[in-house]
This record gives sequence, C-alpha cells and structure tokens, in this order.
Amino acid sequence: MSNGKALMYNQEKCTGCRSCVVGCSLYHDGECGKVTSRVAVVRNERFGESFVVGCDMCTDAPCAAVCPTGACAMDTTAGITKINAEKCIGCKECAMACPFGVINMHYKTGKAFKCDLCEGRDAGPVCADWCPSGAITYASPNIALKAKRRTKLMERLEAAKAGEEG
Amino acid sequence: MYGWAGQRLRVDLSSGKITKEPLSYEYRRKWMGGRGFNSDIIYNEVPPHLDPFDPRARVCFGVGPVSGTAAPSTGRVTVTCKSPLTGGFGDSNMGGHWGAELKYAGYDQIVVQGRAKNPVYIWIDDDKVEIRDARHLWGKFPREADQMIKEELGDEDIHMMLIGPAGENMVRFACTFNDVWRAAGRTGTGGVIGSKNLKGIATRGSGTVKIANPKAMMDVCNRLRQVFKNDPMKIGLNVYGSLCLINVANRDGWFPWRNFQGGAHPLANNMSGETHAKTVLKHREGCFACPIGCGRFTHIKEGKWAGEEFGGPEYEHAVPTGPRVGILEDANDIWHNARLTNDYGMDGIETGAVISAAMEWYEKGLITTKETGGLELEWGNEEVVDKLIPMIATRQGFGAILAEGGDRAADKLGLGDEGHYYTITTRGMSLPGDDPRGLGFGYGLSFAMGTRGGCDHLRSLCCLELSGALYPGLNTKILGDERPNKPVTTVGKPYMVYYEENQKTTTDCLQVCCFTTHWSYAVLTPDQVEYLNAVTGLEFTEEEFQEIGERIINLERAYWARLMSGAREDVVPERFTKEPMPQGVDYQTNVGVVFPLSEMLKKYYKYRDYEPGTGFPSERKLKQLGLDYVAKDLAPLRSKYLSESEKKKKKYYY
Repeated sequence: MSNGKALMYNQEKCTGCRSCVVGCSLYHDGECGKVTSRVAVVRNERFGESFVVGCDMCTDAPCAAVCPTGACAMDTTAGITKINAEKCIGCKECAMACPFGVINMHYKTGKAFKCDLCEGRDAGPVCADWCPSGAITYASPNIALKAKRRTKLMERLEAAKAGEEG
Repeated sequence: MYGWAGQRLRVDLSSGKITKEPLSYEYRRKWMGGRGFNSDIIYNEVPPHLDPFDPRARVCFGVGPVSGTAAPSTGRVTVTCKSPLTGGFGDSNMGGHWGAELKYAGYDQIVVQGRAKNPVYIWIDDDKVEIRDARHLWGKFPREADQMIKEELGDEDIHMMLIGPAGENMVRFACTFNDVWRAAGRTGTGGVIGSKNLKGIATRGSGTVKIANPKAMMDVCNRLRQVFKNDPMKIGLNVYGSLCLINVANRDGWFPWRNFQGGAHPLANNMSGETHAKTVLKHREGCFACPIGCGRFTHIKEGKWAGEEFGGPEYEHAVPTGPRVGILEDANDIWHNARLTNDYGMDGIETGAVISAAMEWYEKGLITTKETGGLELEWGNEEVVDKLIPMIATRQGFGAILAEGGDRAADKLGLGDEGHYYTITTRGMSLPGDDPRGLGFGYGLSFAMGTRGGCDHLRSLCCLELSGALYPGLNTKILGDERPNKPVTTVGKPYMVYYEENQKTTTDCLQVCCFTTHWSYAVLTPDQVEYLNAVTGLEFTEEEFQEIGERIINLERAYWARLMSGAREDVVPERFTKEPMPQGVDYQTNVGVVFPLSEMLKKYYKYRDYEPGTGFPSERKLKQLGLDYVAKDLAPLRSKYLSESEKKKKKYYY
C-alpha cells in the first residue's frame, strides 16, 4: 500500500454527484468526461441510490495476473498496481478480469487505463480530495477500520438504549 | 473546440426532420450558453401572439460552456418556451445529470418544434438521433417511464428528460423533469412539451468536454472545492436540504401560511429540514459535479402514506401544498402532496398556489361547493388536496378549472377583481412560498421585475440580503455598502437587484447552479470568469459577464414589451403592499411590515435604463447591447402602450 494509505469507499454516504469523476478525468487527461475517469458512479435515480466504484488496489490483483505483456503490474516501489501504456497492447484482458469494472479502454489510444492514486498530487487522490460527502476517503485502512468499528458499535448501543427507553 | 460542443440539435416533430446547426464564435460570445441561446431562439422564432401550444412554438433545452466540466455544479439545463401559464416569456431550469450527458453527446442546445402525430420520445445516442414511439409511455409517471425506456434501450446508465401526465394533458403549469425527480418547475414548460406529443428525451453521451487550459482549471477547481468544505450555507443545505429554510422563514416571517394571510406559525418545525432529516430522509442526492448535495430522497415511514418514496422535497416544493393551503399538523401529508405533484408532473408552487387561492375564494364566499363540484375547500383539508391534485393533472371537474392557473381560473369563475386579489400572482404566475414582507425587499422588487412572468425568486436570487449576514463584508465587496445585508430595508436594494439579476443570468448561461453563487457565496463572479476562461481559452472579463447578463434580461423584457406588458404590470400582489404582516409566533421579527415597492422601482428603472412611462428597455440601452433589431421592434409599440385603448393592467397574455 502506498504510504500505508488506501482509497476507501462508503456507499452509504455517496450522493452520486460525480465530483470524483470529473476531477479524475480532468487531472489525468486534461478534459472532463465519464469515459476517461478511473472512478465511476452508478446511480439508480428511481430509488434515490448512488454507488461509487473505484480501484481497490487488490493485493492479489486479477488485472496484473492476466496481463500478457507485463504492462499491468505491481509497482513494488509505490506498492500499487499500475498500467504501463507503452507495454499495453490494448487486449482488454485486465478490463475483463477486474471484479469491479473499473479498468477502462481509452478512447484516444485504445489502451487500458486505471487508477494510479493520482501519483504526484500533493493533496492525494483528487476523488477523495473533492468528494463532498465523505464517501471516498484516502486513509490508512487500519485507522479507518478502527473508526468504523467505533461508529458501528456506538450506533448499536444507541439503538439498544432507544429501545429500552421506548 | 473548447468548452462548448458547438452545435445545436433541431428536431421538427411534424416532419421528423433532424438537423444539426453549428454555433458560431460570435454567437457563443454574444449569448454565452443555456439561457442565452434559448432566449435568443424564443425571441426570434416564437412570435409574441402565437398560442404557446401551437405546433409552430418552440421549446428549447440549453446547456452552457462549462456544463459537464469540473467546475462546481455543472449539470443544469434551462428549458425555455412561450409560457402557457402567462402567455409571455417563460423558462425554468433544473439540476440533475442530464445536462452533462447532453454535452457529452455533443450538443449545446436542443430546439424542438412541430407536433408528432402520436406520442414519441427522442433518443440521442451521441451523433445518432432518432424519434421513437412512446404510445406505451403516455400516461405514465416519470419514474415508470424512466424504467420502461431504460429497459427498452438496454442501458440503465443513460439520463433523460421526461414529462408526467400533467404535461401530456397540457396543464398550464406542468413541469419538465430529468433524472426522474429534478424539475424545471415553473412557467409550464411541461405542457408545451406535451402539446408536441413528446414524452421525453433519452440521452447517452460518451464524449468529453475539452478544456483549453487544464492546469488553470485544476487550480481554480481545487481552490473552490476547498472553499465549499467550510462554507456555512453549503453545510446547512447538505445536512437539511433547502428545507433548512423553514425555521428561518418562520422566525423572519416569510413562511407562507394560508395563502400569505400569515408569515409564521407555531407548528412550522413539523416540516423543518431538521425534522425531515430525523424522520423521513432516506438519502442525500447530488446533481452533477456538485459540492453541496442539497437533494433529498424521502421515504415516509408512518401513517396513512407509509411506504411512499420520492425524490425531494425542496422548500419551494413542499410549502405550497403544505402551509400555503393550511396543512401543517402532520408533515407526512405535506410529503405525500409533494410526491403527488412530482409523480403527476406539475409545478408544486403553482399547484399549491391555485389550490390556496381557491381555498381563500371559498373562505370569503366567492365560490361554494356548487362551483367546486362538492369539494369542501377548507384550509388544511388534506382529503380534498389529495383528491384535487390528480384532478388538476387529469383536468377533471373543478381540477380542469384550476389547471388553467389562478388568474385564468378567477376569470372563468367570473370572480372579478376580488378573485384576482387572492391569486397572489404577477403577470399571471404565482409567487413562490416567499413573503417579501419578511424575506426581503430586494426579493419583493425582483418579484415585480422578473422576466419570466414577473414573480419569481430565481430571477435575481438576491441572497445578499438573505445570507449576506453570514458573509460579513460581502455586500461591501459587491455593492460597496454593507447596509443592504438586512432583508427589511430598501437601502441599496434597487442596485442589488440590478446586479444580481445580471449575475444570475450569466450563471444560468454557464448553466451552473445558483446555490454555488447566490445562496452560498463560495463562487463569485471573478471565480466564474476564471473557470470559464480556463475551459474556453478565451478572455472573458467581469464587465463582459455583466453585459451579457444585461443583454439577455433586456431581450426577455422586450419579449414582454411586444405583448404590451411594461410599467403597469411591474407590481406585486396587493396583499403585500396593503396588509401589514400579522403576528404568527412571539419570536417573529417582522410584525406590521408592509412592502414598499414604488420607492425602489424608480431607482431600479434608472439602473436598467428602462423608459419611465412604458417601462420598456430604452432604445439607447438596446443599441448599446447590440440589440438594434429589438429596438426596431419596440419603436412603434412605445406610444401604443401609452394609448388609452391599451390602458388596462393585464394578467396574462397570448
């Protein structure tokens, strides 16, 4: 894991605004659009539901495992899986293998592209930086999980207390 | 091309002809986008005396140069037509994601004209545009039609514009939706779309918006998105939605109790954002690229309406069919009524306004159960409101009369001046749930001067007086004077309205959300200029922004002038100028206030350079704005407006 931090997605908080999507495409490609974003939002307007999907930086990454040229591989220095566009032959194997559907083919180059945690950006990944609802955070999984444990426990205690009072 | 897509899509439903017209550099620079493009089309292509439901009438959907980009809240679309409610110029804009999708599909504007033989919908798949059968969709609620179209086209991720049954039945205040729940509510755009036998426009856009200077764009967006994180209005809107206004409105006495008979009520907190969040809020929703996320999704859990779900409500959507008709005891009734107006596809404001006017006619004895077909229109009678909303949407019984809008209904029922006194409209459109005796005198002035039927809170959105106090120094920065930050004063208000109207207009041309620029003042004009220039690579200035805003306001005003509407019609309902605000709660701040319009009007006319007698835009101003052809159109009308034969104040036109 890069700096011990990872992108964490909390679907309960996602408003479906796609600030992450436009930020991602602008940062990486210098243009704005859904097709060039490394993170995606799935919306069910009828039911008021929104979900954000991005690369989870699998430790045992299926995308890297299926890549025939070694273009998609774990960068051991950064600790993340990256795609080397020069080596990529555009075979789409990684896109098919990704369990979350967040590897895409670029409409200009025909090559695969994926999240690189906005390498080089001081404020960290733009999606987490711009997310207005806290649905995407860039944090150490351990710290985030500790916080989640505490929140969930408190919620349960509150509910139990309310039940007793009611 | 950077920013703009550079083309207009024109669909003639009579002939089935589909054309794509390029938009030249000069044209884009003159009208900027969205609202500007639309207003230009309506002025030039829809003659003032044409019936709004005539097949020759146009309905336009416009997006702007920054639509679909990373600037804050870039998903809005302006829908413009000749309003069937007022007969004058009408537009309304909506959030959601359809606007960005339209841009990604490669269009800045869609103009629809003609009338299809049978119900149809338009399917835009990037370059490919087709007209498809919609007979099976007719009569469906937007959420049903949304599902059916997505299944039919085999793509759940597309976005679309839709109308509900009220639009199909040409209710004069039917609205236009996208993403199922986001409504362009006002002026009756849905009815015009329905008159063309058009159910909706489904869109898939797989393109991108090209940015001239990505680094500069990244810098300005980084900065603005940081600002939003700590912005006080953003936080209120995100946590409680626009319902966060309820308790403020009650304190300051602009809560529309019983058709504005009062301005505050002890039970207001029943429907506040705070209560809503605790009881029925299912989810918070964000429009495209929005750092605020004021959208709500409501799930009613208890009572008669338990299990109902819908997107919304907003403050302006909830109060008309709630406190405005005297319903406040059980908030679930209010949420239910908001769900009904959404599903049937009607402007919640106008629906509540006509029902509340009818209730006041009933209270004052102007109508009885004889006229209403047995409906007992007593204040707060939820059973009747629940019945009446579908009756209006389907034009049945007494609903058919109310479907014509308040002023037309008053005339149909022969209620005379007294009937019109209670309709709370100017130029035929009802005021939203904001009482200028409390909300602010700037708002009141813009109710009188608005260019889409006279009476709307979104024409100037002069929140400098509403949220100005939350941003110390802001009024001084923008207006050069801090005193206008108090709502109930006339000081500085004419200039505030003049400035904010121009500002709001360019915001509507950019098609970004005014909650980023007027409610929350996180994005100011210099920021907008900065991101527009980064996107387009052009050198717009703040002065040019003001000039474009002014040009469009004058063009829209001229549309009214061609209908013989001018100074005589620059009024607000007499209730606000004659009846002092009564006391509703003991902490209310504006007891006894009446709204002083006339002293502000004169100054406002000077800033606008409107002709004092007629109230028409002056020839000098029009020429200065590059609108010589408009000056020519108005020249013969100036003396006509002042002649005896025309000297009667008009309520609506066509």
